[in-house]
Amino acid sequence: MTWLMSARDNGFGALDVGVWRAWPRSGTYDADPYARASFARSGDLPIGLSEGISFVATTDNQGRAIDGRCITRIKGKFLPARFWTLTIYDGRGRLIENSATRYGFTSTEVLFDAEGDAEIWLSPRAHSGNWLPTGESERIIAVIRLYDTPTGVARSEVAQMPRVTREKCP
Amino acid sequence: MTRFLLPILGGLVLGGLVHIVSIFALPQLAQNDAYARLERLGRTNEIVQIPDPTPFESLLPRLDPAFVFAACVFDLSHGPLAISVPTTPDLTSVAFYTRRGRVFYSLNDRAAARRSIDLQLMTPEQRALLPRDEDLTAADRLIIESSAIQGIVFVRAFVREEGARQNVRQQLTNAKCGPLSAAR
Repeated sequence: MTWLMSARDNGFGALDVGVWRAWPRSGTYDADPYARASFARSGDLPIGLSEGISFVATTDNQGRAIDGRCITRIKGKFLPARFWTLTIYDGRGRLIENSATRYGFTSTEVLFDAEGDAEIWLSPRAHSGNWLPTGESERIIAVIRLYDTPTGVARSEVAQMPRVTREKCP
Repeated sequence: MTRFLLPILGGLVLGGLVHIVSIFALPQLAQNDAYARLERLGRTNEIVQIPDPTPFESLLPRLDPAFVFAACVFDLSHGPLAISVPTTPDLTSVAFYTRRGRVFYSLNDRAAARRSIDLQLMTPEQRALLPRDEDLTAADRLIIESSAIQGIVFVRAFVREEGARQNVRQQLTNAKCGPLSAAR
């Protein structure tokens, strides 16, 4: 099944594809004053627009915060890119400790299904398939970074990004 | 009633002004921005390898753990710089930031003619001083103009699976950043 979602610009320079939000201008010299103030405070170096673009999701497709104590499924197709990575952080933006040192998946190591969808499971306990340990963090920040994307790709009418679904909570 | 209106309005306008001024001033005042953190790691105009981020430590916030990073904190006040970054097996990119963390140029290995990305970084004034013939023979060299005297060159190299990390890291140790005069 494919999930078609049109990208929209929210007027403040953000770009939404499903639950995934990007700030394309933050990778350019024209980043707005708020973005610049926030980068200066946090020490972030946003990726340049010719390197790629990052999308952030903090909620599932029902609008609930992604909870690391639950099992959450991220499934679907990604916008075209030479490579993509999916990384999860805790609510404070730190990588989540786990014995496998597994913090994310790349497009080169993830397993795709017959329809070409990637399916990634966020869960505090081991899960079959592509499993990302959440370490029971209450809040999860999921980041998809698309590297070397065709220009303007995210603005297409049929832009696709994976759906985020809460499957089970304890 | 009306005698309260003016002070309230005045307060709102003043609050708004303070907010706008602080937002614009923050990048100048931030003590712990990327430049300050990288500067502590090594000398200026030299390549420094960034340790891989872990759950306990990350030099810069929210780095992509699927990458290996290196940086060069630059200062052009003593002349242009030559930068050379070997292309790693999968994806290598270079981004240029001002002292305040604004990206002013970025490119990836698609732009590299050979097995390395070779760039020269200089101010518009320094470029104007280049001998004309040298500018011509330099057709295969990419010159990046920087309006910022100080800033950051940040190198990102993709690691397709963890087993490849050591190899990519090893290749990035061959990255160079230094005075252009010394490179010739």
